[in-house]
Amino acid sequence: MPTTFAVEFENVTYRYPGTEASVLEGVSLRVAEGERLGVLGPNGGGKSTLLKLAMGLLEVQSGVIRVEGESPSAARRRGVVGYVPQKPDAEMSAPISVREMVVLGASWRVKGLARVSGEVRAYCDRMLELTGAGSYADRAVGKLSGGQFQRAMIARALACRPRILVLDEPTVGIDAAGQSVFAELLARVHSELGLTMLVVSHDLRAIAAGSDRVACLARRLHLHGSPSGLTPAVLAELFSHDIAGIIGTGAVHVHAHAASECAAHGHAPPGGDSGSGVSELVGLAVSAPGAGTKDKPEGGT
Amino acid sequence: MTLAEAPTLWELVQLAPEPLLAGAALALMCSVLSVLVVVKRLGFIGQGISHSAFGGVGVSAMLAALGVISTGGAAEFGIVLGFCVLTALGMIAAEGQRKTSVDAAIGLFLVASMAVGGLLSHAAQRVAPQFGQPADSRSWESILFGSIIVTDRRDVVIGWVACIVVVGMLWWWRRAVTFWAFDEHTARAFGVPTGAVKSLVMILLAVAVVTAMKLAGVVLATALLVLPGATALRLSDKLGRTLALAVGVGTTGVLGGLCASLLFDLQPGPCMVLVMTGMFVGAAVIGWLRGRRGANSTMAA
Repeated sequence: MPTTFAVEFENVTYRYPGTEASVLEGVSLRVAEGERLGVLGPNGGGKSTLLKLAMGLLEVQSGVIRVEGESPSAARRRGVVGYVPQKPDAEMSAPISVREMVVLGASWRVKGLARVSGEVRAYCDRMLELTGAGSYADRAVGKLSGGQFQRAMIARALACRPRILVLDEPTVGIDAAGQSVFAELLARVHSELGLTMLVVSHDLRAIAAGSDRVACLARRLHLHGSPSGLTPAVLAELFSHDIAGIIGTGAVHVHAHAASECAAHGHAPPGGDSGSGVSELVGLAVSAPGAGTKDKPEGGT
Repeated sequence: MTLAEAPTLWELVQLAPEPLLAGAALALMCSVLSVLVVVKRLGFIGQGISHSAFGGVGVSAMLAALGVISTGGAAEFGIVLGFCVLTALGMIAAEGQRKTSVDAAIGLFLVASMAVGGLLSHAAQRVAPQFGQPADSRSWESILFGSIIVTDRRDVVIGWVACIVVVGMLWWWRRAVTFWAFDEHTARAFGVPTGAVKSLVMILLAVAVVTAMKLAGVVLATALLVLPGATALRLSDKLGRTLALAVGVGTTGVLGGLCASLLFDLQPGPCMVLVMTGMFVGAAVIGWLRGRRGANSTMAA
């Protein structure tokens, strides 16, 4: 049976108006229905632009994007995509409770004399419980911690019954313990609702923990395949600009090479000067399930 | 005057029915809008819109000098209102440009409108005799520095029509407006037509500002668009309660200030502003005491 794709990018290039360099160049990727795709890349690598294009918030200039077979903006208008923003620009002084915020996500189209149905309210309550936000549903949003607000935002995105859930940097500001709880939450949402999920992050843990497939993006697509393809060499290439800015280009090669050697021999990379960042990063890739093996990436440009 | 000699509330209503009715309309309209103004930080935009009325006054003065419209009529009010609405929409358009901040856009329109108003009004006085019209600058005072104590039956009608239009439209689109006010960036991703909602709010703000200026003067217009919302938000974090409190503060401020001015033969505008300022200070103290009590109980636990 042919696979149905929820999101398709075909040779997409994007350049912001008034700038010379393209943010995305020749990106092609497909997300199957019900699949969890993690998009990993450095800051400025084009991840958020990819999301904005997928949601129709930016007009594609070159290439084709289809969301459930139609244009991204048409899919957005139909409420196909649920969106959890990276950094909420919400006015936290607004007098609004978590429940009101979630119901708004599902009912903003209701106007005038019409009322929000009991069925919609019940579904919102169910999403609040599913995300663990039910216990503070009547609390004002201004009184929530970062993690609590993140759950409320996921509940709001789910309340409009999307078929695709898009999360932009969902683990920013959450500590390591919170991240594993968050990964469990996303796994629970995925298994219960069977959604297609698109998670964008520069955090390797967030991507490795909860993705069926990964796409490594730094202007171009460096890898599009299983998480086992996250080899030290791929990561070093992907984050080369970030790392070079911290420790210098020469050190990158040394550490990446050292980590590759470690991966090949099945032990941890040297931690003598792990504060440099690259050995920690690449070491994490080595410890990721299946990483460091000789799996061939499935695609990419 | 002793307390025994003071007129009763009913006697005050009989003494000044039009100012009380016009004041009630302004209080209701501006108080509802003030919650939006404070949450979305639109106070400076309100200032920009109110000062742009000078441009509208200049245009209407010139048209009156040319004999096209009559001074002090509905056409004059309509021109000033239209000028303010166009200015508000212009501010949004300028804000959308990448290189223009909202502050710069407001400042640009504010000074340009005042300059246009000044030049046209001056020119109108020189042109008027050539067209057989009286050269006066009455419209400056009558439109920009109205006094609620001299409102007549026509002003009451203007006030209540504006109030019904503003509150009615906000109520009709209350969910989309609330989503936009709370989280504009995410609302757009959810499909909310944020540009249209923003334009609607700006137009309603312009209607409220111009009406309040015409009926009560520019200082009271500004106070009514900020103080009720700011006071209510100090006391409540529930949407319905905040709106009710804002209306209560606005109504008490306008009617209380008006009664005080009639009782003690004082200027009504400053009395109203001071009553509302007093309520804001009281609310701030209550909020501070609540915060301290909350902190103490947390420490005790």
